Amino acid sequence: MDAEGLRVDRAEALRYLGYEGQELDADLERRFDEAVAACERDLRARCVHAVFPVDAARSGADRVALAGCGLVLEGRDIARHLDGACEVALMACTLGAESERALRLRAATSPTDALLYDAAASALVEAAADAEEARIVSDAAARGLRTNFRFSPGFGDLPLAVQPAFLAALDAPRRIGLSVTSANLLVPAKSVTAVVGLFAGEPPAGSARSTCASCGLAERCPLRSQGRTCHG
Amino acid sequence: MDEPIDIEAAARALRDAAEGLPDPLAGLRIADEHLERVLRGQDFLVQDGAMGTLLQERGLTAHGELPDLLNFSDPDAIADIHAGYVRAGAEMITTNTFSANSHKLEGRASVADVYRAAAANARAAGARYVAGGLGPIGVLLEPLGTLSFEGAYEVFAEQVRAVVDAGCDIVLIETMTDLREAKAAVLAAKDCSDLPIFASMTFGEDGRTFLGTPPAVAAATLSALGAHVVGVNCSLGPAELEPVAHELLRFARCPVVVRPNAGLPHIVDGRTRYDVEPAEFAAVMARIVDAGASVVGGCCGTTPAFTQELAALVAGRTPAPHEPVRAFAVTSAQEAVVLEEGSAGVAVIGERINPTGKPKLKAALVAGDYDYLVGEAVAQQEAGARVLDVNVGLPELDEPVVLAAAVERLQATVTLPLQVDSSDPAAIEAAVRGYAGKPLVNSVNGKRENLDAVLPIVKRYGCAVVGLTLDEDGIPPTAEGRLAVAERIVAAAEAHGIPRADVAIDCLVMAAATNQDEAREILRAVSLVKERLGVRTVLGVSNVSFGLPQRGLMNATFLAAALGAGLDLPILNPLSGRYRDTLAAWQVLNGSDRGAAAYVERYADALDPYAARAGVAGSAQAGAAGDPSTPALRACAQDDKGAALRAYAQDDSKTASPAPATAGAPADAIPIPPALADVADEVRAMERLILSGRKGPMAAATERLLEGHDALAVIDGVFIPALDVVGARFERGAFFLPQLMASAEAVKAGFDVVRASMGEGAAADDGKVIVLATVQGDIHDIGKNIVKMLLGNYGYRVVDLGRDVAPERVVDAVREQGARLVGLSALMTTTVKAMERTIELLHEQVPGVAVFVGGAVLTADYAREIGADYYGKDAAEAARIAERFFAAHPAI
Repeated sequence: MDAEGLRVDRAEALRYLGYEGQELDADLERRFDEAVAACERDLRARCVHAVFPVDAARSGADRVALAGCGLVLEGRDIARHLDGACEVALMACTLGAESERALRLRAATSPTDALLYDAAASALVEAAADAEEARIVSDAAARGLRTNFRFSPGFGDLPLAVQPAFLAALDAPRRIGLSVTSANLLVPAKSVTAVVGLFAGEPPAGSARSTCASCGLAERCPLRSQGRTCHG
Repeated sequence: MDEPIDIEAAARALRDAAEGLPDPLAGLRIADEHLERVLRGQDFLVQDGAMGTLLQERGLTAHGELPDLLNFSDPDAIADIHAGYVRAGAEMITTNTFSANSHKLEGRASVADVYRAAAANARAAGARYVAGGLGPIGVLLEPLGTLSFEGAYEVFAEQVRAVVDAGCDIVLIETMTDLREAKAAVLAAKDCSDLPIFASMTFGEDGRTFLGTPPAVAAATLSALGAHVVGVNCSLGPAELEPVAHELLRFARCPVVVRPNAGLPHIVDGRTRYDVEPAEFAAVMARIVDAGASVVGGCCGTTPAFTQELAALVAGRTPAPHEPVRAFAVTSAQEAVVLEEGSAGVAVIGERINPTGKPKLKAALVAGDYDYLVGEAVAQQEAGARVLDVNVGLPELDEPVVLAAAVERLQATVTLPLQVDSSDPAAIEAAVRGYAGKPLVNSVNGKRENLDAVLPIVKRYGCAVVGLTLDEDGIPPTAEGRLAVAERIVAAAEAHGIPRADVAIDCLVMAAATNQDEAREILRAVSLVKERLGVRTVLGVSNVSFGLPQRGLMNATFLAAALGAGLDLPILNPLSGRYRDTLAAWQVLNGSDRGAAAYVERYADALDPYAARAGVAGSAQAGAAGDPSTPALRACAQDDKGAALRAYAQDDSKTASPAPATAGAPADAIPIPPALADVADEVRAMERLILSGRKGPMAAATERLLEGHDALAVIDGVFIPALDVVGARFERGAFFLPQLMASAEAVKAGFDVVRASMGEGAAADDGKVIVLATVQGDIHDIGKNIVKMLLGNYGYRVVDLGRDVAPERVVDAVREQGARLVGLSALMTTTVKAMERTIELLHEQVPGVAVFVGGAVLTADYAREIGADYYGKDAAEAARIAERFFAAHPAI
């Protein structure tokens, strides 16, 4: 359940910072390198996932209910994403309280370093989520099941309000120290929760990877206004 | 039960009595003699095992209901599970109340009712002892979350009162991951009951709790705080917990409880399974018991079959001797600084967080700028300090409030244990109460009144304490006189239940210039106190050199002598290379730098300062000047302020600069202001520092420019135009955000120098005050912090309210500060609503105030929709908004 030896995808971290090929001074590059190294050295990802059968009787076009934990994933987008899934994997990853402390420390001493560290940590938790997702995919494949991409609360119309019940279903506060604020934001902030569908047959069309179509921020996306997307 | 003679325990009791410590169990309501023997470590106690996983197995938790409510809805099932454990040999049953706090119950039942029903179910099962269980609150405490320490204390206090009312025998605090939360619970248990307190935390595979607390810290902190049994529950399987148990046993001054899970959990088909069988569980527990653990039980995944094995394991036996290390230990939530009795270790206490003689720190404290303290803390940590002294004693400050705030901020950012430094007992209490760890209190002295005021605080909050060898008659001039005062302090501490291992004596350094004869007496006193009383010693080293030239030389020489006399905890400036050289050498001589490895690594290629000086100057007496020449010292040297700048200029010519080196300026170069025409090269060099975001050399560069030039010429002629260039580059995409930030930070470093040079009068803000906040519910404040720095650079007075700020607080701050412009940030779509409410309230309550907003999900249209006056798409835009606003609305 622990992901070790994870690396920060530097290009990804730079992209979070809005980097578009500007000429980097050696000093700034060194500070970025230090942020990346500190993340890789000091942070440890804790991840957990669990697979629940879909409760078909209680699911519909605007909701997916899971058996065994009482969790209901609400929204048309998630229902479409999981259409035909026999089981659903819930996953959660966090870089832990140390990431919060390290960010607070840098925010107090150098906002630039805080910004660089924030981006590096974001890239690191994505790497942790990728690794956890890969474990789900390989476990599923071993059982002859197909999967589609991970879908997080906040994507499309799957509300952030699902986070408390989502974490409870995984016992995430106790197992990986991941909590949620009263405004449904994850704490530590450098954390990811996501849903992966498991299918006996072919996953629904268009759900193999993330697209702008299922993103609630698509209309206001600064990347799209520049003709780019966050999913490559 | 047999009562074999426990020689170890008897010896310990004798020694404690000899040390004058009161009985730690005095005044407790203890159910019977067996439980008392358990609390003295003389008998084993078998606790029960899991409740939650058994409820899950019976299908009683499938719908996400709180298991605690089953005490009402299905009391028979709960009593039945308890009874299974009682039959298997559990002497103590924990109530089914893991979530029975006001936060988790949310009014579905009263806390008191749940405990009453739960205790009745445990009694119905025939439990010999009923432990009222308290789990984590379920909301995170500050700084990670929003619950205050006092808020947590209140939640636990309500539970503890319910435990008492329900007739329980024990208060059991379990599964804690936050040491601060555990401390709040133990304090509440001490204050609201006279029952024995068990406190256990849960540790991950890296051997720490999720919040970073290792077992040594948990054991040292919670046992000093007054928990009667400390340990570990949940977490992992017994094999993984074996090293955790060993560390707990080393540092707990009370019996240790170990209650592992039945191995590691695997969720299969939505159900949690554990992979260790009862016999295997017991085999590992046998080793843990042999190591000294005397309270045993199980946690998640265990069943009565596990309890049966444990009961058989300890039947007819008495606990193995448990001898914790005799050590001086102070802790933060993440680190323990441990000086074992008889060991040669030295731990430096960094003295720099003290406003005496430090105008910048003083100004920061008055302004409430705790970030400055964090900077000082980090610098000292990097320079090798092990403990940080925190002193905020200024007549104009409310010391209890400021000291508590400083400690709160420091413990949220820096991992070193803190020394709370104040002569005001109220300030000490305010600061140590919510401190997550075992702090060092500096100080108590030999005056009766002072002992009576300070020692109860030290005991109540589980601190260590520095005792100053002075009393009603002042500071005794002789070593024997200081020893006599120290003896009285140690005796008084012990009478309050503070073991002498937690006392460090400061024999008080006097200036050699005024009290020359005392220098040798001080050193002799250090040796005497250490030998006769067996306590650790502290000295504020630099006092010795007051009134003499070359203070560094005098200080380092005295430090060496004091270390030789037995000084353990020197209080000094760790940034002084001279001190560090002395300490590095001493650590070879006292054997703590094994094989001189660290010394060799540091000095093998370093120049001997005196030899080097002699070689250059050919002067035999150069050594007396004490010019720093080791690497460490060079880094601290302040005497060559231009060097860094020159080095940079050379460096810059080597890198791919967009402009030819001969031209010396980029295409968008700032014009050289007439007032600085005589130093055009240095203006250009500073411009390059700003454009490349190098803050390191900025202070020195600014000081040079200020020599003979007006501060305003530097601000308006260099800082602001350079910032404008940065903003323009950012605007057209030639810079990305970190470059903008780094440039802004470089300017800030320059501004700090300008402000310091302008002295007290520099605080004038021309009425250009801006209040900034990240709105309620949102914790993403990086963007707001960027705006804050940039606006500060343009000379506005920025009042930063932080993140997750309620609309009312913004309104209050605007009124208090007389602000006319407010900046709000929100990152999430969900929190834009809070932004809208804040704007509405501001416009309603403070007419005339303007609001600008920013955040990833906002657009100009959206900003208008929610009533904002301006929309800042980035930090550079925010600066332009402020400029436009204050130009259009000059101060009245």
